[in-house]
Amino acid sequence: MLKVENLVTRFGHVVAVDSVSISVAESKITTVIGANGAGKSTLLRTISGLEKPSSGTISWQGESIVGLRPEEIVRRGIAHVPEGHAVISELTVEENIEMGALFRRRKFKSDVPKAIDEAYQLFPRLLERRSQLAGTLSGGERQMLAISRALVSRPKLLLLDEPSLGLAPLVVEQIIDTINTLCRSTGLTVLLVEQNANTALGVADHGVLLALGKVVADRPAAELKADAALRAAYLGY
Amino acid sequence: MNNFLSALFSGVSSGAIYSLAALGLVIVWRGAGIVNFAQMGQAMFSTYIASTLIINGYSYWVGFIVAILAGAAVGALMDLLVMRPLSNKKRTELLSSESMRAAIPVIASLGILGVLQALAGIIWAAEERGFPSPVAREGLTLGDTVMPFTLYDFFVISVVLITLTITTLFFKKTSMGLAMRATALNQEVAKLSGIRTNHARTLSWAISGAASSLAGLLIAPSSTLSPTSLDLVLIIGFTAAVVGGLNSPIGAVVGGLIVGLVMSFVNFYMTPEDVYISILVLLLIVLIVKPRGIFSGKDSRRV
Repeated sequence: MLKVENLVTRFGHVVAVDSVSISVAESKITTVIGANGAGKSTLLRTISGLEKPSSGTISWQGESIVGLRPEEIVRRGIAHVPEGHAVISELTVEENIEMGALFRRRKFKSDVPKAIDEAYQLFPRLLERRSQLAGTLSGGERQMLAISRALVSRPKLLLLDEPSLGLAPLVVEQIIDTINTLCRSTGLTVLLVEQNANTALGVADHGVLLALGKVVADRPAAELKADAALRAAYLGY
Repeated sequence: MNNFLSALFSGVSSGAIYSLAALGLVIVWRGAGIVNFAQMGQAMFSTYIASTLIINGYSYWVGFIVAILAGAAVGALMDLLVMRPLSNKKRTELLSSESMRAAIPVIASLGILGVLQALAGIIWAAEERGFPSPVAREGLTLGDTVMPFTLYDFFVISVVLITLTITTLFFKKTSMGLAMRATALNQEVAKLSGIRTNHARTLSWAISGAASSLAGLLIAPSSTLSPTSLDLVLIIGFTAAVVGGLNSPIGAVVGGLIVGLVMSFVNFYMTPEDVYISILVLLLIVLIVKPRGIFSGKDSRRV
């Protein structure tokens, strides 16, 4: 469904993503794990158009999306939830969610309220706080809001960057569970980037291990999880 | 007492105009991160267009509407022809530092101001001309007593109130308004939400152009019109925006009123020569005591 081939993204002289090739299967959870600075976030940011690759191809449903602006890539069904609970603190919860559906408001007029309702059902706490400013939410709630904002765009592929960052284990579990259920019940495809390898491999179908910008392993998640040598070498436990 | 009321009314009425000028600055600052020094040059240009239409026999209102539309068009063109190409430039040696990247559009706006003033001089000759007002500018009379306010004061205050209401409703209640606020607050998240931030930015230049043209039209009857006659309004509007907080539209309105009232009271109770000094003193006090302005959040940029 999504196919990345020989992708290279540089920042000046630093090669953050070094000739990476991965493919993401439809209706499955694929996870990219690796230590801090392995290039995981840059990989996602290049897919969603926030960074321009210096070479390589990204094909989505058979078409190249390299060089498209992020706002056009979302419109083709790839929603990106970047690192750090990316919401707009000065807007209300309701406005943050609506924002994700703005571009669909004409073409899919009747579906927009439905999509927003579904997001509130998924995270009822957001409904309680709908008129509060997003800046007043807890970290976990902000992450739920960021995910809701992405979901109301009705994506086919959800790019999730470190949803567990800075959150309490219980909240992480809840968020990961929700994503898992969503994938299994609606067929949403997920590309999950995590530093927390155990959590990610526990829920994913397929795992890719990244180190210093390069792919060092690309296997079914269960296999990757069982490989103690690989874990010790690249993740340090 | 009469002096006090006169000062109050003329302060509110001119303050309302400075609010508009400040609002124009704030909208572009929030939407594009640029302090637009060409703003009152754009306003001067549209006021000349109105003046030309009125001199040629069209009604005040035709001139008024056309000028506001022209102001919006010039604002949008500034973004499309100058600011957008500048921001799309690859990071060259010159553009590599953050401060240079921030400074270049501001310098460009100063350049545009020069071009607009020169063009106005070429097209309309650089001599001063008057500008009509749609209603009387003499003090209203009630029986035998002359009231401390004019019909024109009421006209200005109502036009500004209507404009502010429409602008607020637009930003708070419409989808496009939400898209523009999102773009102003966090471009990355806005883009990832599918908002075409380029369009939102051009629209903020257009709205700012329209608001400042309105300010130009409203202030012109009280002074004369020349290619440089609105320069002072830019400085006063800028002071108003800084007093209220460059990030805050409400701040722009309150800042405009404060500045208008200070100027008016100094004018009535001290000497007219002290008016501009008083504005600069106000600016200094605000910069020292509350450098981010009265209404801005804690993480907004300093002036």
